[in-house]
Amino acid sequence: MTETAKENKKDVKEEPTSGIKFYFHAIRRDKLGFLGLIIVLFFFGWSILEGALQLIGGYIHRESLGWALLPSDPLKPSLFNAFHPPALSWTYLLGANAEGESILSRIFYAMPRDALVSVVVVLLAVAVGMLIGVIAGYVGGIVDDLLMRLTDAILAFPAIILVIAVAEILKGNFNAVIVGLSLVWWPTYARLFRAQTLKIKEMDYITAAKLYSVSKVKFFFKYLVLNTIDPIIAYSALDFGNVILAYSTLAFFGIGVTVNIPELGEMASDGLSGLPLYWWWPIFPSLTILIIVLGFVLLGDRLQDIIQGRLA
Amino acid sequence: MGYGLLAFILKRIGYAVVSLIFLIVVLFAVINIILPSPIAKARIYVRNPHVPYSELQAIAREHGFYKPLYVQILDYIWNVLHGNLGMDPVYGVPETQLIMQYLPITLELVIPATILTVIIGIVMGAISASNRGNWKDLLVKGIYLTSWSSPSFFIATVILLIFAYDLGLFPSSGMVNPLLTPPPNVTGFPILNAIIAGDTTYLVSSIRHMVLPVVSIALVSFGVITRLARSSLIESLESDFSKLSLMKGKTKSQVTYGVALRNGSLPIVTLVALLFAQSIAGDVVVEDIFDYHGLGYYLLTTGIYQLDYVALLDITLIDGVLVIVANLIADILYAVLDPRVRIS
Repeated sequence: MTETAKENKKDVKEEPTSGIKFYFHAIRRDKLGFLGLIIVLFFFGWSILEGALQLIGGYIHRESLGWALLPSDPLKPSLFNAFHPPALSWTYLLGANAEGESILSRIFYAMPRDALVSVVVVLLAVAVGMLIGVIAGYVGGIVDDLLMRLTDAILAFPAIILVIAVAEILKGNFNAVIVGLSLVWWPTYARLFRAQTLKIKEMDYITAAKLYSVSKVKFFFKYLVLNTIDPIIAYSALDFGNVILAYSTLAFFGIGVTVNIPELGEMASDGLSGLPLYWWWPIFPSLTILIIVLGFVLLGDRLQDIIQGRLA
Repeated sequence: MGYGLLAFILKRIGYAVVSLIFLIVVLFAVINIILPSPIAKARIYVRNPHVPYSELQAIAREHGFYKPLYVQILDYIWNVLHGNLGMDPVYGVPETQLIMQYLPITLELVIPATILTVIIGIVMGAISASNRGNWKDLLVKGIYLTSWSSPSFFIATVILLIFAYDLGLFPSSGMVNPLLTPPPNVTGFPILNAIIAGDTTYLVSSIRHMVLPVVSIALVSFGVITRLARSSLIESLESDFSKLSLMKGKTKSQVTYGVALRNGSLPIVTLVALLFAQSIAGDVVVEDIFDYHGLGYYLLTTGIYQLDYVALLDITLIDGVLVIVANLIADILYAVLDPRVRIS
């Protein structure tokens, strides 16, 4: 009680209540939230770097550029080292799999794809959810009823099962997985945007904007969307993690996995065949997913606290 | 007053029906994007790739693939209403028969798992609410955030490693000791069958095989409950009736678990539906890891690896129906428990 009161007072003293600087300072006040921020920044930073190297390497036909920063070639089998246990060398810090490939290298090689999937799916879901949610909330009536029933219908599915269905019917390649995930991901955002729109719909500045006959596009984006987006930012920070979880589960079932491109979920599922003797094979890739997702969860949790404290 | 409740229930049922119809339309649309031609669909019915074209046409005509999409959807809905879920193209038996075989096994996992989830969730929530701000609260938060962030296969793998392989307490895979002869199938639920037949060895073996999957599912999904229970309990602990009970001389734990919990558990009811959906989703992975042959296994092996779209359609539909019904029950329960909901 006293702590939140103190925080609120601090917020009042510091003038700005939005903008990157405000959020950064607010996040830094909480150790766990800050840890989350660091994990997330590292994850995206590494993914951009490694992803760029892999792309460039692919273009100039020099794939080895993709593992220039890694201790070893993640795709080169070395049967002599099969099931090498975790040891104090960079290559085998996390052990090796049945083909003797370094698990550490494979984990870091796989990260950019997870980053790409999470960013694309969350952005698509926010865009679609924004359109549907804001329209449903603002127009109301039968439009609202129909759109919300559609939202309910998709929310009624256990998401992962629908994604499995969609991605698999779409022949299970990487793009299909993105389409499948986006298809089931937007309804939550539609609901959030709708609830926010209902909250601000009757406010004076909306009426004022209407009186000034602002153009429709400007009205939609500047007056409706911009004022509904804060809680959604916090939720989407958390949601990046959810997408990564869903994506790894798909990879776990071998959906959307391409030969010769390591994938965290796929490594975990391959590793099950090594249990109980070669425990490091499934455990470390799963643990990596856990740490990445935890980063997003901690950050999202903190952002939610900040925004709630501010709006209250 | 009774009339208001009835109207509320009818409205909710109407919503549920509309949602279900949307669900079917979406599924059909997706399937038709993927398998656009009647021949492509007919191909799934025959495993032989060298089947003559005329035969494929005959199959397509027989299953009505040449009809317009909306007619196909209406036909499907009509059939579902008459309890006919179609023939399975892979096994060549009615889909209902296969689902009747696999669904009880999944429910045997998911229902205990949901109950266990609620128990773990509420107890953790109560611990953290009554110790707000100190290390116990933080510990609980750490535990549920970790469970929240872990892929379900991670939790299942760790449990498998520790309790099945290292400690050897429970079997690592399968549904029952394969050497035992199953009791006569009366209900479709193996455990109920064993109870009816009075076969204790079979019963004990089934339950021992059930423990690890159930615990895994529960550990994957209890976080949501904990979070909600915590916030709702804090609110309820700060309310006047809790303070009054404290003043009457009840101990703190009596107030937390007795007074506050009873009044604070209302919002949790609505979450059970969501939880059920999560358990079903978690169940696919867990069934795969523990080699448990339920609906998830069926979905993966035939629906997905063999592109059996009828199975996909029906399983998704059944999962959707289960969740929508669970949602409906939660809504009604909530309205019965809290009359204020009915008004809005």
